[in-house]
Amino acid sequence: MRNYGTKVVAGVTPGKGGTEIEGIPVYDNVADAVKEHNIEASIVFVPGKFAADAVYEALDSGINLVVVITEHIPVLDTMRFVKYAKNKGARIIGPNCPGIMVPEQISLGIMPPRAFKKGKIGIASRSGTLTYEVANDLKHIGQSTVIGVGGDPIIGTDLVDAALAFEEDPETEKIVVIGEIGGTSEERLASLVKRGKIKKKIVAYIAGLTAPREKRMGHAGAVVYMGMGSFQSKVTAFKEADISVAQTPFDIKKLL
Amino acid sequence: MKLYEYEGKRLFSKAEIPIPNGKVISEPLQWEGKAVVKVQLLEGGRGKRGLVKVTENVATTISEFKKMGYNLFLVEEFIPHSKEVYISAMIDRDKKEPIIIASPEGGIDVESATNVKIFEIPEERGVRPYDVTMIEKYLGVNGLDKIVKGIYNLLLTYEAELVEINPLAITDRGPVALDSKVILEDNALYRHPDILREFNRENVSDGYVELEGYVGIIGNGAGLTMSTMDLVKLAGGEPADFLDVGGGANKEHVKESIIRVASNEKVKKLVVNIFGGITRCDEVARGIVEAYKEVRKPIFVRLVGTNEEEGRKILIENGIKAYEDPLQAIGDAIRS
Repeated sequence: MRNYGTKVVAGVTPGKGGTEIEGIPVYDNVADAVKEHNIEASIVFVPGKFAADAVYEALDSGINLVVVITEHIPVLDTMRFVKYAKNKGARIIGPNCPGIMVPEQISLGIMPPRAFKKGKIGIASRSGTLTYEVANDLKHIGQSTVIGVGGDPIIGTDLVDAALAFEEDPETEKIVVIGEIGGTSEERLASLVKRGKIKKKIVAYIAGLTAPREKRMGHAGAVVYMGMGSFQSKVTAFKEADISVAQTPFDIKKLL
Repeated sequence: MKLYEYEGKRLFSKAEIPIPNGKVISEPLQWEGKAVVKVQLLEGGRGKRGLVKVTENVATTISEFKKMGYNLFLVEEFIPHSKEVYISAMIDRDKKEPIIIASPEGGIDVESATNVKIFEIPEERGVRPYDVTMIEKYLGVNGLDKIVKGIYNLLLTYEAELVEINPLAITDRGPVALDSKVILEDNALYRHPDILREFNRENVSDGYVELEGYVGIIGNGAGLTMSTMDLVKLAGGEPADFLDVGGGANKEHVKESIIRVASNEKVKKLVVNIFGGITRCDEVARGIVEAYKEVRKPIFVRLVGTNEEEGRKILIENGIKAYEDPLQAIGDAIRS
């Protein structure tokens, strides 16, 4: 992140307060860090069992953007801290996500720089490595902002929120959406496009054509219960909204 | 972690949801009168497969099931009833609140039910009497207070993904849960050691999902792995599994993963798709080479990331096909 230009000003690990890592001061808690620095965002790498505590701590210290990289956070924890953040007017990205990046400017997370280049395409994705694959394939066009929304069932910022942000963003000309089976965020996005709320061109790809029902495909959120959020339901919703759906990640560039 | 029917019903009892009197056994049993014998399996669709039988002769039925290779049974009293409905509780991902799902068409596959209604019950306030009356009115039955509160509380207390009663029988003595389907959330199991102990279960899920095909699939990252399965299908092949080795995979883990996938007899060849950011490709390649010595099935590897050239060189020197382009790797695998 630092190599990419992100100004990392403080680390927080209880019990390690007063130490330094590569010249960056470490604090016992977020409140101490906030007293010493002007902090705009917090990135949580804390293991699943303790991640919720870290999120609440960042929110209560007045930080308005919290990126949660951690996987395996219990859903009830996420459900509660996402609502807590919303009541405070703060934004959560993730959990279980690679973060957010503005190529050649700033990275909050773990996306590998080699796959990205500055440009005009906004990418919103539910998958990490698939985002790198797609960004890499679109390197000749480049990206304005890339948001990994996360693979969990409940996330702070979903594909719909990300697409709405791209609609408002003057740096973004077209939007690439990488979805997968499970949940209904793709269907809700399609409905917004149908109602004219998003006018920029969207090209979508959905992973999970061959995924069996009621089996979890790696991501906690990639599972179809009660037939909700199946591959077919998403593709149909996109097509009804005149959103181009790429058959493979490598067909996206042709459709843009 | 999916629970067996009888385990789910034990949770139902704790939550005061009425269930039939019954016994879990593995040997034939003398039973007076009409009973239902149900094979205990984690897979669904038991009814369609003939693994649920209403019988006057329990011992014979169990012997027959045992001959078919089944070993765990739930024997229950037969419950005469006038109506069956469907009811379940889960967390709505978009509303970020618990919901109750109900349908007057019980006993069937809820996905094919034409009338299903969702009742949102925010966690902050919990189940209120008017929630229950609305659900009762929709289903056209009475006396659901304990049922609605029971499944709602189980959902939140044990951190379930799904608490389902299908069917819920409506009888003269009130509603009775004839079946149970409870799935606990793997990520929250560490908070419920009492349940794991009581059912003598441990969480063994490693994310591996077996499918019907013959092309073994391994990738890094869930989306990329799923996409690899889809690409194999689109190229005319049939994926045999889903296995995500995750980020920063080391040699041992890659080796074990390949052996795991290749040990499936149906697998004729393997496609490995690694798009590494920080993943060291030479490390991955060495894991693949070691596994290849043991499994001796053709492996087609797409390998991109740190030290990728070194990684591909190691593979090629050991007779394994290595690629930069995933479509080419998959194409060659299908044609081979």
